[in-house]
Amino acid sequence: MADDIVIQGDGLRKQFTETVIAVEDAKFTIPRGSFISLVGPSGCGKSTLLRLISGLIEKTDGDLLVRNSEVVGPRSDIGMMFQKAVLLDWRTAIENVLLPDEIRGTVSPEAKKKAWDHLHLVGLQDFEFSFPRQLSGGMQQRVALARLLQTGADIMLLDEPFGALDEFTRERLNVELLKIVDDPNITTVFVTHNISEAIFLGDQVFVMTPRPGRIAAQIEIDLPKPRTIDLETTPEFQAYVQQVRDVLASHLEDQPL
Amino acid sequence: MSMDNEAQVSNIELAADYKGSTGGAVIRHTIIFFVLMFIWEMANRTGFSNPLLLPRPTEVVASIWKIYVTQGNVWYHLWVTFKEAMLGCFIGCVVGIGLAVAAVLSDTFRQFLKPYIIIVEATPRIAVGPIFVTWFGFGMSSKVALAALVCFFAPFVNTITGLLGVEEESYELFRSLGATRRQVFWRLMIPTALPTMNAGLKLAVGSAFGGALVAEFISAQAGMGILMARYTMSLNMPSAFAGLLSITLYGFLLFRTMEVIDKQVLYWLSDDLMTKKSAKRKIKFHKEISV
Repeated sequence: MADDIVIQGDGLRKQFTETVIAVEDAKFTIPRGSFISLVGPSGCGKSTLLRLISGLIEKTDGDLLVRNSEVVGPRSDIGMMFQKAVLLDWRTAIENVLLPDEIRGTVSPEAKKKAWDHLHLVGLQDFEFSFPRQLSGGMQQRVALARLLQTGADIMLLDEPFGALDEFTRERLNVELLKIVDDPNITTVFVTHNISEAIFLGDQVFVMTPRPGRIAAQIEIDLPKPRTIDLETTPEFQAYVQQVRDVLASHLEDQPL
Repeated sequence: MSMDNEAQVSNIELAADYKGSTGGAVIRHTIIFFVLMFIWEMANRTGFSNPLLLPRPTEVVASIWKIYVTQGNVWYHLWVTFKEAMLGCFIGCVVGIGLAVAAVLSDTFRQFLKPYIIIVEATPRIAVGPIFVTWFGFGMSSKVALAALVCFFAPFVNTITGLLGVEEESYELFRSLGATRRQVFWRLMIPTALPTMNAGLKLAVGSAFGGALVAEFISAQAGMGILMARYTMSLNMPSAFAGLLSITLYGFLLFRTMEVIDKQVLYWLSDDLMTKKSAKRKIKFHKEISV
């Protein structure tokens, strides 16, 4: 495995019950510093694949390597973000960002300073001491992003992080997310069911199809960076959208909705 | 009904909604109150109702003065009942919360506990009163035991409901951060469950007096229950009513106290307390860190 490959799966399989196969025969490599979008309809196993990589659930079969070592459980170089912000209501924003340090017993003045900086990086100056219930949905997800950055993880697994937000907030946060993870050391896997979002964000788009969950296609997205919202109206972008749709359509046509 | 049912919410909480009423409403309620008292008084004086069974408001006021000031005997009995109720409530809550935590942490234990809880729930708790008096004697213990039994259920059910209400994603977050079971319990499960647990504790405190009183009615040497039983048996109805009003008043005061504590503990559910806390924590942070 080459040095610049961070995550590698081969014949990866996850079976929940006899009839439910969430991930089947997944083969992929994810290079360091890349942004991978995992797109597919609900129930296609994309969240399961993400949780396999994170070590939250165990694979049934196959190989799954992160930095050349078998995934056996949650690890400190992998951080997660969810569709819900999952903030602790009884803690201020900055105390929520400090949660990873508290759990690892690494709270220090430096850690607190870092938490402060992370909140500012995600655009939450003046809201450091607000409680989650005083923040909007978008701001709550910003706190969750700051908390993810605070973990120091360089592999970021995002499970539809802005999926519950309105269109405008989601677009803005996507652009800001791209800036923040635009670092040759940070590898990002982003789960979404929104085709445009997947293409807009990704260096590569993995298209997944359900029953059983398979990676049906891996598409390189060769669009200029930094990406801006008006990119979505270009013919090149539309061609990628069509390509993803074709992959999904060819796999879904003989399946009941 | 099963032990997984919804958290119980107190009726008194609904009544407490009136506290936000304006000065006009206060005047209106005062007028209505005095009109009702006047009608009651007149009904008695004109012989419309039997003064022996339903005493006049003025007689009740006189009795309140008597039992609190001239005779002053009510204080002792109040203290006895208060002690029994609070001690019983404490025991009931500790056992209830303890069993609930064990039931949530261990599926095996929960399955084991379930049928017994259903039996306990189906039994009217005060029906156990005579048995408890036989078991624990005529003194304080039987009253404490019945108060504990009456108080046990709400904290138990609410703690289970609260702890099971932690979202799957929260667990995933904690696990992805490498949290230990102890950290998950104290930093995630307990604070998440706290609002529901507190609602259970409020209900328990509200029912504690009832448990102690019923045990006293059955047999006791001291306490508000036996005092009221004596008054009614000698047809001293004004004093019986004065005693009843006392119990209502202290029940209400206790509930309000619980509400105040509740609000302070659950500061993140109150807008003004959150604002205050934010300011305090900001000052503390900047004292420690210069940014």
